[in-house]
Amino acid sequence: MSTNTSQTPAERLRDAGLYAPGDAVLSVRDLNVRFNSENGVVHAVRGVDFDLMPGKTLGIVGESGSGKSVTSMAIMGLLPETADITGSVRFKGKELLGLSDKAMCKHRGSDIAMVFQDPLSSLTPVYTVGHQIIEALTVHNPTMSKQAKEARAIELLRMVGIPSPKDRLKAFPHEFSGGMRQRVMIAIAIANDPRVLIADEPTTALDVTIQAQVLEVLHTAQEETGAAVVMITHDLGVVAGMADDIMVMYAGKPVETGTVEDIYYNPRMPYTLGLLGAVPRVDTATRQSLVPIEGTPPNLALPVTGCSFAARCPMVSDACLHGEPELFPVPGVESQTLGHKAACIKANELTGDADAHKIFHAPPKPVSKFDGVARAERAKVLELKDVKKHFPLLKGALIKRRIGTVKAVDGLSFDIREGECVSIVGESGCGKTTTLLEIMEFHPDQVGEVIIGGVSNKVATDHKTKMAMRKEMQMVFQDPTGALDPRFTVYEVLAEPLENLGMPKAAIKKRIMELMKLVGLQPDHVNRFPNQFSGGQRQRIGIARALAVNPKLVVLDEPVSALDVSVQAGVINLLDKLRAELGLSYLMVAHDLSVVRHISDRVAVMYLGKIVETGDVDDVFDNPRHPYTRALLSAIPVPDPTLERTRERIILQGDLPSPLDAPKGCNFATRCPVFAALPAAKQEKCLNLEPPLASEKEGTQDFACFFPDGEIDADMLVVHA
Amino acid sequence: MLKYLMKRSGIYLIMIFLTTSAGYFLAVSSLKPAVLEQEKIPRPTPEQVAASFRGLGLDPDKNAWERYLDWLWGIVTRWDWGRSPNGAFVNAEFADRVLVSTRLFIASIILTLIIGVALGVYSAARQYKVQDRVITSYSYLVHILPAPIAYFLVQLGAIGINEAVGQRIFFVTGISTPGIEPGWPAFVDLVAHYAVPTFAMTIFGWAGYQIAQRQYLLDNVNADFVRTARAKGLTRNQAIRKHALRVSFIPVAQSIAFTIPAIFTGGFFAEAIFAWPGIGLWSIQAISLQDVNVATATLAYGSVIFAIGAILADFATTLVDPRVRVQ
Repeated sequence: MSTNTSQTPAERLRDAGLYAPGDAVLSVRDLNVRFNSENGVVHAVRGVDFDLMPGKTLGIVGESGSGKSVTSMAIMGLLPETADITGSVRFKGKELLGLSDKAMCKHRGSDIAMVFQDPLSSLTPVYTVGHQIIEALTVHNPTMSKQAKEARAIELLRMVGIPSPKDRLKAFPHEFSGGMRQRVMIAIAIANDPRVLIADEPTTALDVTIQAQVLEVLHTAQEETGAAVVMITHDLGVVAGMADDIMVMYAGKPVETGTVEDIYYNPRMPYTLGLLGAVPRVDTATRQSLVPIEGTPPNLALPVTGCSFAARCPMVSDACLHGEPELFPVPGVESQTLGHKAACIKANELTGDADAHKIFHAPPKPVSKFDGVARAERAKVLELKDVKKHFPLLKGALIKRRIGTVKAVDGLSFDIREGECVSIVGESGCGKTTTLLEIMEFHPDQVGEVIIGGVSNKVATDHKTKMAMRKEMQMVFQDPTGALDPRFTVYEVLAEPLENLGMPKAAIKKRIMELMKLVGLQPDHVNRFPNQFSGGQRQRIGIARALAVNPKLVVLDEPVSALDVSVQAGVINLLDKLRAELGLSYLMVAHDLSVVRHISDRVAVMYLGKIVETGDVDDVFDNPRHPYTRALLSAIPVPDPTLERTRERIILQGDLPSPLDAPKGCNFATRCPVFAALPAAKQEKCLNLEPPLASEKEGTQDFACFFPDGEIDADMLVVHA
Repeated sequence: MLKYLMKRSGIYLIMIFLTTSAGYFLAVSSLKPAVLEQEKIPRPTPEQVAASFRGLGLDPDKNAWERYLDWLWGIVTRWDWGRSPNGAFVNAEFADRVLVSTRLFIASIILTLIIGVALGVYSAARQYKVQDRVITSYSYLVHILPAPIAYFLVQLGAIGINEAVGQRIFFVTGISTPGIEPGWPAFVDLVAHYAVPTFAMTIFGWAGYQIAQRQYLLDNVNADFVRTARAKGLTRNQAIRKHALRVSFIPVAQSIAFTIPAIFTGGFFAEAIFAWPGIGLWSIQAISLQDVNVATATLAYGSVIFAIGAILADFATTLVDPRVRVQ
């Protein structure tokens, strides 16, 4: 509020040259946010304008650092006092910017409410859930009676789908799972029937099945309250089905606005086009590389002279570098709430049939020498035979007694052939990571057999054989920042495994230069420290380290989940290329099924320590047989608004059950949508017998279900028309 | 809760037994009172020394294990913690010493705690403002000031006041004036003796709490759940008071319970400088006088106080943090 404090909102609006439609519930004009930092003033949000109509949903899409969260916090008045905010934010015509904390409190929570990203840390750990919901009611309704507040709290919990809400009022946040806590957050947000609900990445921290549940709850909440929703996300799939309008942000500025159809089917800004092409699709078999957007977003502490995307744009020309383009209406398109606008001087060159792959020079899909060889003829690089890992669940302080067993991995058998990528998918807690750890453990005392490159863990007792095994198999970790020693230069990181093998110095140096080129990094950057690289580059270093010793098998633990969409595409393309060029095999664990579909040849779906379905990735994804696979696949949002709105979605009830309540028969029976629809006589079978993992006569995929393709319980099916 | 406390107490009893036993073995094998006897004039013969020690149950000819069993038997059957080389009974002196220490420290412990936590909250709420900088700088200064010097400074101040007024208002050393009349004069005398050490220990004691409470509160001021509370419609100050404060008190509550035993058993400087012969002083003297039984008794006392502190810490934590509530 630096220069504009003396102006009235109307004057400010006139200055901005924009007037809002009278019926908009929230109007934002020329919003600018600046932070003072050690590196100078960071201009985090640079001129955001939008109008939110009652009951409508606006999706704000952008990568980390694009200013989308700062925008929402500025609207809520939750930025630190040191932030310099200018522009105008009006709720039903009333200016909110410049209000004192106390005056703003009248609007926060009653007119405008917010749901935050991380449900695990967003609730106060020391108060009951009921207390925290009732607090939201008390603040805005001081006269409400205690009974009325309690009744309302119960009603709210029921609305967001928390079973036995009356008892759960007295529960503390730590007694809830992540998805349940996010439901509580939504209950708090809608407690006072807000007119505007801002959801900042509400499902990013959750599993896909839980994400589907929470999105469903948000949908219900919007229907119940009639609130307008601002949905902030980096996931183009999540907003495709929900939003009416989309605003794409880049480097603190909206670069394209329009209806969902405008944005998804007719993008006019190269960044939007690239972003859409960078997302792998779960619903189609892609035989194309992803669209990589090279480079990184600009440093917002420096003044912007040209188009902020110019440095990464393949269509860049001299004109792009002089003066930042404003948002101009795209000609020939009927304008709706926001109107289809793009901040690109070449918007007219990008018509509906523009091909992102061609424009962004996506590499051709690499072909491996193994692709032509039948699977059965290729050698096995890894084989698991009935691997089990059970943890005893103990109780008692001095004398521990066993009250149960957590079957983290319960009889896993699969193999990986040369040149193929096998992915394990499933919700958190299904045993994916334990499986990887069991493979890496490679100890004779393990239950079950792990055979790596023909060497079994049962015979590999001496140190030398184990060392040889390590050379065959390397690992790439989820968090590239945590996996690299911050005090090692890249050279030291890469030299360490080679020194372990006793390679001479000169050879190490040569190999490191090779590796840097292989993963697409500049060889002269070897003396830099990891913190001088971006997230994507760090993951490339992680990959280079894994490849240093020329392994046959690389274990990838969520290799791209910590990366932004545009960066993720580059790393996935790299993994694809390396597999083809070096004849590598991958074992990947990932929760993002779109990534899995894009990169894998085979997939294994895990539930409570067991594989419930496995087979060729296209078979499993196009024709899932097990109800869990069907639910998992239907829960994944697709970046295609039309499809999203007509697609049937299976919403699983509840969370992954506690291992103590695991049923005797099929593990999945407690949540199974097919089971729920079965007649009681058939249910008996699921409850008492464990379905074996087997294939049908003509099928290529194995699944563990007595009633594949069974009818889904109608209560668990949802379609948003 | 009671069952939980019983269980914890049982575990601590075993631990106290083990540490005390280990302490006894260490003391009995390293402390040799006979050496000091040799400096007496006229110098006693080794036989005389051994005979007198045998009478006190400190037989130097027995091995450590035998002496340990004797010592333990005495405690278990008669609650007799043995005797000093000069013949004094440990039991008799112990109670007096504990009383002196407790009286010396109790007021300053309570004041330190209240003032320290309050100032921590006050300074955190005014981070980087003048008040915060003054308070926190003071705390850091006190942290680097050695206790003896700090206490001497207070004593000098008290003497200065006495001289300025021209009359003895404060006593800078001692517990009480011998032969004082009971009733009102005795109370005034008590306060006059009590004021200086309590003041000294308080103003040099709260620094730790202030820094810890300030730090933990600041860690929570920008926590996600405080943001949630603000998003509900609470002002920033309300949100901090209602949500951040209680969470930030959890680690402080634990540290409080663990610092109390340190003060009770380690207040050696204060006891020496203000001439309150308490348990801290006694334990140091025991080592210089090669007194096995007193050294072990003070060690046992320290363990007991520590166990009480640990149970208090558990108790305080369960009070403020529902996540560790016991079934």
